[in-house]
Amino acid sequence: MSPVVGKPVNRVDGPDKVTGTGRYCGEIVLPGLAYGLIVGAAVANGRVVSIDETAARAAGGVFGIMTHRNTPKVANQPRLIPSLAGQPAPGESFFPMQDDVVHYWGQPVALVVADSEEAAAHAAALLDITYEPGVPVATIADGRASATQAKTLFGGLMPATDERGDVEGALAAAEVTVDATYHFAANHHNPLETSVTTAQWDGDRVTLWDSTMGVRASQLTVASLLGIPLSDVRVITHFVGGGFGSKAMVWPHVTLAAMAARHVGRPVRLALTRPQSFTSNGHREEQEQRITLGAGRDGRLTAIRHRKLSVTSPFDDWAEPATGVSTQIYGCDNYLGDHQLIHGNTMTPTFTRAPGESLGSFTLETAMDRLAYELGMDPIELRIMNHPPVDNHGNPWSSDGMADCLRRGADLFGWAGRDPTPGTRQEGNDLIGTGVAGAGYPVAFMMPVQHARARIFHDGSVVIQTSAQEFGIGVTTSMSQVGADGLGVDMDVLRFEAGDTDLPNTTSAVGSMGATMQSSAVHNAATTLRNDLIAHAVNDGKSPLHGLSPSSVKVADGRMTSTLDPSIGESYADLLQRNRLLDMEALGSWTPPGMDTPHGLLTFGAQFAEVAVDKDLGLVRVRRMTGVFAPGRVLNPKLARSQLLGGMLWGLGQALLEGNQIDRQSGRWALNNLGEYLVPVHADIPDIQVDFVEVEDDVVGPLGVKGVGEVGQVGAAAAIANAVFHATGRRMNELPMTAEVVMNGGGPG
Amino acid sequence: MEFLQPADWAEALAVKAAHPDALPIAGGTDVMVDLNFDRARPGALLDLTRVTDLTDWGTDGDWLRVGAGVTYRRLIDELAGRVPGLALASRTVGSPQIRNRGTVGGNLGSASPAGDAHPALLAAGALVELASVRGTRRVPVTEYFTGPKRSVRTPDELIAAFLVPARPGAEQFAKVGTRNAMVIAVCSFALSLDAATRTVGTGIGSAGPTPLRATEAEAFLAAELPWETRGAVPESVAARFGELVGSAARPIDDVRGSADYRRHALAVLARRALAWAWTDPGGAV
Repeated sequence: MSPVVGKPVNRVDGPDKVTGTGRYCGEIVLPGLAYGLIVGAAVANGRVVSIDETAARAAGGVFGIMTHRNTPKVANQPRLIPSLAGQPAPGESFFPMQDDVVHYWGQPVALVVADSEEAAAHAAALLDITYEPGVPVATIADGRASATQAKTLFGGLMPATDERGDVEGALAAAEVTVDATYHFAANHHNPLETSVTTAQWDGDRVTLWDSTMGVRASQLTVASLLGIPLSDVRVITHFVGGGFGSKAMVWPHVTLAAMAARHVGRPVRLALTRPQSFTSNGHREEQEQRITLGAGRDGRLTAIRHRKLSVTSPFDDWAEPATGVSTQIYGCDNYLGDHQLIHGNTMTPTFTRAPGESLGSFTLETAMDRLAYELGMDPIELRIMNHPPVDNHGNPWSSDGMADCLRRGADLFGWAGRDPTPGTRQEGNDLIGTGVAGAGYPVAFMMPVQHARARIFHDGSVVIQTSAQEFGIGVTTSMSQVGADGLGVDMDVLRFEAGDTDLPNTTSAVGSMGATMQSSAVHNAATTLRNDLIAHAVNDGKSPLHGLSPSSVKVADGRMTSTLDPSIGESYADLLQRNRLLDMEALGSWTPPGMDTPHGLLTFGAQFAEVAVDKDLGLVRVRRMTGVFAPGRVLNPKLARSQLLGGMLWGLGQALLEGNQIDRQSGRWALNNLGEYLVPVHADIPDIQVDFVEVEDDVVGPLGVKGVGEVGQVGAAAAIANAVFHATGRRMNELPMTAEVVMNGGGPG
Repeated sequence: MEFLQPADWAEALAVKAAHPDALPIAGGTDVMVDLNFDRARPGALLDLTRVTDLTDWGTDGDWLRVGAGVTYRRLIDELAGRVPGLALASRTVGSPQIRNRGTVGGNLGSASPAGDAHPALLAAGALVELASVRGTRRVPVTEYFTGPKRSVRTPDELIAAFLVPARPGAEQFAKVGTRNAMVIAVCSFALSLDAATRTVGTGIGSAGPTPLRATEAEAFLAAELPWETRGAVPESVAARFGELVGSAARPIDDVRGSADYRRHALAVLARRALAWAWTDPGGAV
């Protein structure tokens, strides 16, 4: 039996998904189940003056109505810390329905629980709520004057400023400079499954079926808010219909579901409606970024100044960190990155696929393209020349691959011989252009020790368990592969179980860390059990392997054999049965190297795009894309390709279509459904090529796995914008690049 | 909410007379969106999917008469040669699933200024057949729309069919959308060139309170086209035609596009549609 890690194994959960037998959290049926519906504030700033429940209560089927008047006070509001850190992780440091103040449009002001979804919706519509509205400030345009320099981001977890050298001096002395300002519209996640929680109490203990990217984060957060022991909160999540960051943090509806179930004395399912998913689980914030590059005529970067201004909530200093890649992907002695914040009438923004770095890299990588034109250099050579062997602290990369990704991509895409002159290729009404961008995404070792359990039964069947759930990316499959290889059994005899806080702890599958963390813990559990089994055999006088050194025993297909004489051996099942052992199990753990590990930690890639721009209408169509990535060891190329391809499509959507704005008068999001907030459809998707540069990495875990969840998006929009410039000669300073932005010269400049 | 399901056309008209507030539903691709978004709570729905008369088409003298319940999919599959402009427009409607359900009758019933079928019907000089227990009338589509989502249809009337000349001219349709499918038009334009009568028909979508004709542009182009020689259209004529189409629009700024962009884009679409229609006089695709 050859190893299965690295093979394009089909998804083991595929049949459950396509036949509908997989149970999502909104499909859990419990006796007496009631249905909750949140009523969101219809003002963005002000107070609830009155709530008349008469008509709603008379509507029929209503079990209860919660408002700020009868909602229990939360026991302990945790501060906002990324769920990756393994602590309580509220999406915002605020819990609604504790008083009558409204901070943002859609903030929960009431919760109706009824005997059907329809009855809840009807009663919710009959609630008569009056407000004393204030004037909202929710946009950069309205809040610019109040912007302040942030000190720290993420509840103090990271500094908001990153400075070294003398940026101003280096810029003043630079032979060549590039200066560009960008405006980016807000983005929303829009997973197919909106967030949903089903809550059931049994005495003082509550079970939550929660559509989350981290069962442990949901457990920690709900226990803290309700003031009950962790042991009394169990979170189960077997299937998640997409997250993209919207389920990375724990939003108020999760705890409200538990409160509602206690309030009505029944299990309650609380699902966000599609419009509510635009106001209830964070968003990628509206932002402005300005970048100034200084370089010598030889192309060497001498200074980078990268600043971001964005809108956050009244409660949290939240900004997607925009400078984590620009500070290190290219070597530069003089650097300043900082974040300015406007505290406005929005909810706290949140992680949205490739948080921070997708737009931070858009800014950097389009600026690098401008620099290449200023210098008359090939943009690939400019990047390779500036990509250093060490990070911004002088630490060597745990693994690199950047230059190889650019070169491999150039070959696959057909970059050689490209005429860089903009606006010179036309086919019919279309101007044709090609563009390239580098990609990098941080590997963030914020998480605590990770655990998994491997158990083998005396018939040779195996269960491997860890708590972090499958949320659509394929970990059930890839962890089955890792477990099978680690233990030396066929995948068919192994079942991977996850998505339950009763299982050994792993942290939320966020920040492109899921595969790294889980594979490390699973590998260690499986190899520990294998070693235990081998030790048992060589010490067992009745085993044919008795007396051998453990290192002289290999395992394949559940059978231990001597490496010296392959005819000598026995199966795991034989060993267990002879010794009257019903099963054996082992816990495996993995301690991450920590944020202070002396290594540069980025996952690298390169993106290429070809576009056709209608010269008279400004419509941009992407004709083909190529992405090459270096995510360490690839556990399953089919799954990895899908995730990277999905990321590239996100980049395409971010480049051309996705954007929302808050109406300045009302403070309300202009778009709140998928008919108006446009994402790419099949007809927009071109030929997309994904390839890998496999790099060995012995820092990021025993298998050397880096994540692929985010890096596929990084650089994709920049490659498209650079291609639009090549096609038209116009620089794009606004996302999305709508037809009018393209026609009008690319935005604010 | 009452759900009314007449078995045939006579019953449908009687039910509509008895329930003038009933909202007719055929494919449901518009009506269900409004219901799901709670934009509409009609007292009753009048389901027309059992009325088989509505799904027929055939000639009626010099006209082609197409039942209101014929889907976009069937227009594309069965009638592309007879209603070429409308078939082109039908290809841009929604997704395959929506084209399998949606009907031109529904488009006319909603009377949205963004309805994809409307510009092609305007350009072709279509008639809308309205029926009630009081009788049947045929209204030129140019007189059908009275405002945003409003028409001359009275509460007791149902849309029976639309009619277009049985012998189509060279027809074209072009639409600007922010993505390649499943998209409401930023603006759209339809053109019909009838060499036999030397007349020009136009239709503008998503750029005014109703679908519009560009009558001045039609008259200008009819007079200027080299019908006799079939020679190339002078660039100045094409440019002026585009300008006149753009200025016939009455667009507003909204989330899909600004008024200025829409006028500009309509001028571009008009020039392109003219070039295509003039070089491909058959029109049919």
